[in-house]
Amino acid sequence: MVKMNKLVCGTASLLSMSLLAACGNGGDGGDEGASEGGSDTLSVWVMGDGNESVQPIFDAYTEETGVEVNLQSIPWSAVHDRLLTAVASGEGPDVVQMGSTYMAEFIDAGALMDISEYIESEEALSPDNFFEGNVATTMFEDNYYAVPWYTETRALYYRTDLLEEVGYPEGPSTWDELYDAAVQLSERGDNMYGFDINLQEQTFGPMFAMQNGSDVITEDNTAVMNEPEFVEAIEYLHSFAEAGASPMQDLGIEISQSFGGEGIVPMFISGPWSITAIEDQTTDIEGEWDIRTLPEGPVSNVSNTGGANLAVWEGSDNPDQAIDLIEHIVSTESLLTYYDTTSSLPALMSAWEEEPFQDEKVAVFGEQLENSEHMPLIVGWDRVSKAYLSSFEQIMVGGADIQDTLDNLNQEVQSIIE
Amino acid sequence: MKSKKAPYFFIAPAIILLLMFSIFPILIALLISFTDMSLAGLADYSRIEFLGLQNYQNILQDNVFIQSITNTLFYVLFGVPLVILFSLTIAILINMGKTKYFSFMRVVFYSPSITNIVAVAIVWAFLFNPSESIGLINQMLSTVGIQPIGWLTNTDVSKFSLVILAVWRGIGINMLIFSAALQNIPKTMYEAAELDGATKWEQIWHITIPQLKFSTSFVTITTIIGWLQFFEEPFVMTDGGPLNSTMSVALFIYRNGFQNNQFGYAAAGSLLLFVVIIAATMIQLRLQRRGQN
Amino acid sequence: MINISKKLKITIGAVLGLWGLVTVIPFLWMILSAFKTNAEIVSTQPNLFPSEWTLANFAELFQRLNFDVYLVNTAIITLLGFVGLFLNAMAGFAFAHYDFKFKNFLFILVLATMMIPGQVTMIPVYLLLNQMGLTNTYLGIVLPGLTGAFGIFLFRQFFSSISEEFFEAARLDGASDFYVFFRVALPLSKPIIAVQGILTFIAGWNSFLWPLIIANDQSFYTLSVGLQLLQGQHATNFALQMAGAAFMVVPILIIFIIFQKYILSGFNISGGK
Repeated sequence: MVKMNKLVCGTASLLSMSLLAACGNGGDGGDEGASEGGSDTLSVWVMGDGNESVQPIFDAYTEETGVEVNLQSIPWSAVHDRLLTAVASGEGPDVVQMGSTYMAEFIDAGALMDISEYIESEEALSPDNFFEGNVATTMFEDNYYAVPWYTETRALYYRTDLLEEVGYPEGPSTWDELYDAAVQLSERGDNMYGFDINLQEQTFGPMFAMQNGSDVITEDNTAVMNEPEFVEAIEYLHSFAEAGASPMQDLGIEISQSFGGEGIVPMFISGPWSITAIEDQTTDIEGEWDIRTLPEGPVSNVSNTGGANLAVWEGSDNPDQAIDLIEHIVSTESLLTYYDTTSSLPALMSAWEEEPFQDEKVAVFGEQLENSEHMPLIVGWDRVSKAYLSSFEQIMVGGADIQDTLDNLNQEVQSIIE
Repeated sequence: MKSKKAPYFFIAPAIILLLMFSIFPILIALLISFTDMSLAGLADYSRIEFLGLQNYQNILQDNVFIQSITNTLFYVLFGVPLVILFSLTIAILINMGKTKYFSFMRVVFYSPSITNIVAVAIVWAFLFNPSESIGLINQMLSTVGIQPIGWLTNTDVSKFSLVILAVWRGIGINMLIFSAALQNIPKTMYEAAELDGATKWEQIWHITIPQLKFSTSFVTITTIIGWLQFFEEPFVMTDGGPLNSTMSVALFIYRNGFQNNQFGYAAAGSLLLFVVIIAATMIQLRLQRRGQN
Repeated sequence: MINISKKLKITIGAVLGLWGLVTVIPFLWMILSAFKTNAEIVSTQPNLFPSEWTLANFAELFQRLNFDVYLVNTAIITLLGFVGLFLNAMAGFAFAHYDFKFKNFLFILVLATMMIPGQVTMIPVYLLLNQMGLTNTYLGIVLPGLTGAFGIFLFRQFFSSISEEFFEAARLDGASDFYVFFRVALPLSKPIIAVQGILTFIAGWNSFLWPLIIANDQSFYTLSVGLQLLQGQHATNFALQMAGAAFMVVPILIIFIIFQKYILSGFNISGGK
């Protein structure tokens, strides 16, 4: 029987290899398309509308060095598809923007170049220059595979006028205050709530668990999503729904509809991008809202770091030049341009001394970044977070038992890790 | 005389292209379904491990997969008859008038099919909004005293909402096919029936419907296949939620396989779906053949 | 054509009108939203008609799209798609009116290709095109979707409904098989060519995935890819999306109205027996 298995396995893998290999790495000729023109051209993949966001930065680089930059913008909706095909054929760009949650998987697949020697030799790329939470996403098994580009973290958005009425003009500063404020606000009437429990955000529950001292997944890769620290955090979140202080279902409305006007949901947690959304679309509450760092949990008020890094694709013909371009992109001047075009916050700490980041609201995120961590950096995190979302929904919407559900979740997560 | 070689010339280009870009990839998918192919395996084939039937065993024990199957059957059961009935009815009704107004109606009923899916998602999210002040449908219901319905948030209702949406989108193309087929029914048949004193209803029932048999079988088969692969609507509207109540098999495959890079698992799911669709099609073809004999 | 009285015609017209109104509301909503500001779209009291008409969305759209490049690419890809239409018609004709070895097997094979979700085949197809050196070419973008089971099946069904006698007459005059196909079968199938033509046009016009994956630089991008690029990671500008969708639908509407004429040109006029 064993023999039979081996035989089948051998034939099948041989067959699949020959079929796949027949059309796999087409040899050296293949790379030409990606970085044609040799050392004078670099190809770069950027997510979203690159013409708008990074072209000015590249133009400056070309003027300075004479090196052409061939920009390819990838729509956010198709990032995964495009990266997959690049991994499959081995043909990628020279420089690629990598979302921080994608890092572990693509490094594991060998898609990104180990650039540790450059990180050590180039002063400008030294890890000390960047926020720790972001640096952590570029490093795997003591090697560096990317340079932090922009960063994101979450803070609490609140309506100053409504929060003042319930006694928290500066917004709630602890878990208890958050709960109290939310319950009071929900007593304004039917279909009125206090705080938004986000059912779609993959980091929402784990972030609260971390504030309660949970590791979520320990360093030796053990899932602890059913330990008391985690369970208590979920119970805390569930208590909002129980008290009617948070919608039990997705209201299907935009920020302007929930946060503006009479403030159906006057407190929510989000990243810096919501500033622009509110300023542009929710003009009726000008001066009546603010942002503050997250309310302090039993252990901390740690937030969740996200953002994107810049990496060199494995097999790039010209890593030296690619690193040079990355240095240019993470220079203070380029980061200011980038903030201008996209409102993305720099991962480079020294850039925060510049004027735009002194803005009162933006500065809150700067402050929160000092206490912000990335979610566990493991290869299967995407699957883990989807498993969490479905469990969280079962608890919040489906009314499932918290401990039982989290026991099952933990088991599932452990099997994903292994 | 019919040449013996001609048919091969006729089908060769299409068959070759399909072999290359459809059949060959399906065979690859079959192989992949016996492995643990992941992102790492894609980059380096030596990291692929052979799992035998493990993926198939696992997926058949996956509760969400089982639920996605029952959901998909629900979609097919309600969606397919509605689409066929509505598109046939509309095609026949429009064909009765020859004026510009009736031609214009064809554009009207085709409009959902050409509305970009992104726009569809945005507009229907507003229509289905549970709030009375924002959701147009609930707004209308409230004028006749009906309480707001959680179209996409209530687990009992969400499947029906997606069926409504998909039927709305699916009518256009099938109506068009029926419209084209209606032109091929010789006028003389109706004239003869009229002379024999047949009513309008009898003419539709005894001439129009039987004459449409080839297009009806086409529409039936392609609609069943389409609904078995139900994907876009739950993908853009609910992402399978709430509580997996709208999860379809195709969406399950996409979510578990291609978002999570478990290609082997996803391929196994696709192959199972493939077998089901083939079986459904064969049964359908056989039933039609029996009907014809 | 069933003859109907004026009264019945008006009743039918009224029923269709009401039904049509319900059907067309989302489409109208899309068109009208394109003329609203984003703030108005997401306001707490949405209206069907814009309270203040604006062209700003279209201005931004044309400014941010690499319009000239994308339009040319889209047009080329759409035109190439029509080659596939004729290949589908040929295959459908053979399946309907010839007997040959493995006919049933091959037809089932064709149908089978309709039944596999596209994501499963994406990577193998890409690797194949890559190996053939077709990355960064229009051919590479078009080939994967050039022929399709849907089209072949549709033509086969349609040709099946045409009696063999039509072709026999031509053959007795000594016409070749190709002559019969091009000069007898194709002209007879104007309605179904029109239907397939509309579908081919829409598919080409909206092509998104392959232009994106096959291209190694933006010079091969289509309008659809350009539109998707306007979508941000977190915030969505609904008004801009609506303007894009409304703009993309205009050529489709024009093509539809032109082709509709042919859908209605039945063959019974020319060759009725």
